[in-house]
Amino acid sequence: MYELLTGPVLWLVFAISFGGLLVRVVLYFKGLSQQLDRVAYRPHLSYALKGAFNSIISWLNPVGARAWRIRPGFTIIFFAFHIGLLFTPIFLAAHNIMLQENLGFSLPQLPACIADILSWTVIVAGLFMILRRFAFPEVRILTTAYDYLLLAITMAPFVTGLIARYQFGDYQFWLLAHIITGEIWLLCLPFTKLSHCVLFFCSRAQLGMDYGVKRGGMKGTTFSW
Amino acid sequence: MPQGKLCNRQPIKTDEQLKLTLSDKSGNQYYAEMKELDVDTELLWSTIQKTMKSRLKTWLEICAHCGMCAESCFLYQVNDRVPEQVPSYKIQSTLGHIVKKKGQVSNEFMRNCMKIAWSQCTCCNRCGTYCPHGIDMGIMFSYLRGLLYSQGFVPWELKIGSGMHRVYRAQMDVTTEDWVETCEWMAEETEEEWPGLTIPVDKKDAEIMYTCNAREPKHYPEDLAEAAILFHVAGTNWTVPSEGWEQTSLSMFAGDWECCKDNVKHVYDAIERLNPAMVTGTECGHAHRATVIEGPYWVGRPDGLPPKPYVHYVEWLAQALREGKLKIDPAKRIKEPVTLQDSCNYVRNQGLKDVTREIISYIVEPGYFVEMSPNKEHNYCCGGGGGFNGIGMYREQRNVALRKKMDQIQDTGCKLVIAPCHNCWDAIRDLEEEYEIGIRWSFLKPLIIGMLDIPEGMRVEW
Repeated sequence: MYELLTGPVLWLVFAISFGGLLVRVVLYFKGLSQQLDRVAYRPHLSYALKGAFNSIISWLNPVGARAWRIRPGFTIIFFAFHIGLLFTPIFLAAHNIMLQENLGFSLPQLPACIADILSWTVIVAGLFMILRRFAFPEVRILTTAYDYLLLAITMAPFVTGLIARYQFGDYQFWLLAHIITGEIWLLCLPFTKLSHCVLFFCSRAQLGMDYGVKRGGMKGTTFSW
Repeated sequence: MPQGKLCNRQPIKTDEQLKLTLSDKSGNQYYAEMKELDVDTELLWSTIQKTMKSRLKTWLEICAHCGMCAESCFLYQVNDRVPEQVPSYKIQSTLGHIVKKKGQVSNEFMRNCMKIAWSQCTCCNRCGTYCPHGIDMGIMFSYLRGLLYSQGFVPWELKIGSGMHRVYRAQMDVTTEDWVETCEWMAEETEEEWPGLTIPVDKKDAEIMYTCNAREPKHYPEDLAEAAILFHVAGTNWTVPSEGWEQTSLSMFAGDWECCKDNVKHVYDAIERLNPAMVTGTECGHAHRATVIEGPYWVGRPDGLPPKPYVHYVEWLAQALREGKLKIDPAKRIKEPVTLQDSCNYVRNQGLKDVTREIISYIVEPGYFVEMSPNKEHNYCCGGGGGFNGIGMYREQRNVALRKKMDQIQDTGCKLVIAPCHNCWDAIRDLEEEYEIGIRWSFLKPLIIGMLDIPEGMRVEW
């Protein structure tokens, strides 16, 4: 079972997930329209690219956009969640050992204690994100069951991973649970709202181009929205 | 019921239909007919399929439901922060629902969408700058307005407004003759005080072509005279076109896409015909947005730019002051606390924040200018944008919306507000009328004229 899940199934999952995400990006840019979006992307490409870059960078920086700066609490939770989510699976020692065995190379590995902290961060920050969906009426009204499902899918590999890592209960069971939930998460990326892992960049780039070309960029404004 | 006599899916195309709709007091019959109006769900869905591409689709899909947009919306803030005013909720529960249902929605639903699209969003685009995913709900609401207009669900005043544009090619019933006569009349009146002043109509190859807001010739012709005085004093070789002078676009507020295109084309035709070196328009925000920022795309110009450089009046004014064509008498500068209203349509939507402050630096004694908070691109809508000022049915909601601007102005402690935008000017006038906080408000033109350092002999004192 372990061999199957970390062998052919994993390859298939990777292919579907990354292939699917690539398709999403391609379709996004193919679906842009100068006339309907009212942005002259190509004729003012340098302004467009400058705007796109500015927009992405400003929002990847926790103090780059005014929206982040005025809501420090949310910003910290939100960044902590995403940093943990991104860094832990890529740089986890156990994952890199698999990578080394299968492909003959590996990425830098996180020390165990850092990996632990990051995983716990994902769980704690995730719980806060769930809590605010209950607590704040302006978030509650937007929240649907789908939002909770996606949070559950996203946090499940961390929960199962930590249980396996601390060897609570049946290690083999939790290891398999970790692998399966991780694969479910990967499979969901292109087909759900989790596609924002790539569409965030596309959408920000588009709005950045809009501002960069039409809404002030060509008038020299340096507004980082 | 199929379509009503006044409320239907057809735009107003004839003077007769226009007068008939206008004669329906407060739109009583119009709104009664709207309750019976069928939704052409097939048309609705096919329009969406043709016009909704990856940008809008992705925006609807990837909204993380995080609620970051809530506090960015002044309407959310002034309406006791009720969750129904969260921008994401407003768009998801209207446009989002129509898309989810593939256009299969009811009359009642469409009427509710109309209410939300025109009384709970002014398309100020502020929320778009607070969304981590870069989702601009103002753009989506403009789009929704287009869908609603095409189905006949549009406030009465805006149906008439876009009808005016279609019939008169102006937002009010000002004909070419009326316009040219007003120019002549204003030139004659003003020339007595300013010898040699003219308002040249259809002069080719001028340095500047000037466009304006039909309300000016119709209700405040002195605004045109003021523009003429400033061009005259600056020694500008300028002209106005006899046709294509109307820069505004109520059709943009109404969501009448076809008419938007026609408005702008008419102005661009005038530019092509008269071949000025550049164009400027009056102190109006949405007119600039329509004709200069969005217009090139409506008419399909490949470079996204108007046929000639087309600057906002504040840009022209700043340049004239910078180059010394207009000189300010330092003794006449404003010497009282004064604040500035940044118009969403050319500040957030075209970044023209520094030129207005440059003008302030010339006309306000140092130390007297007080910024609103927040300001520039982060400024709040005046409360009357996007057509909100003009819709009788939503007057009450509009008056509540004015409170944000009132608070911002009161926090500055100023009694004078400079508002270089027609809609903002109107909204601030209305807020004074409604809440009586003891403020004055002004366009730039009259202020500048009052403090000009005029060469001897240029003006005849009476």
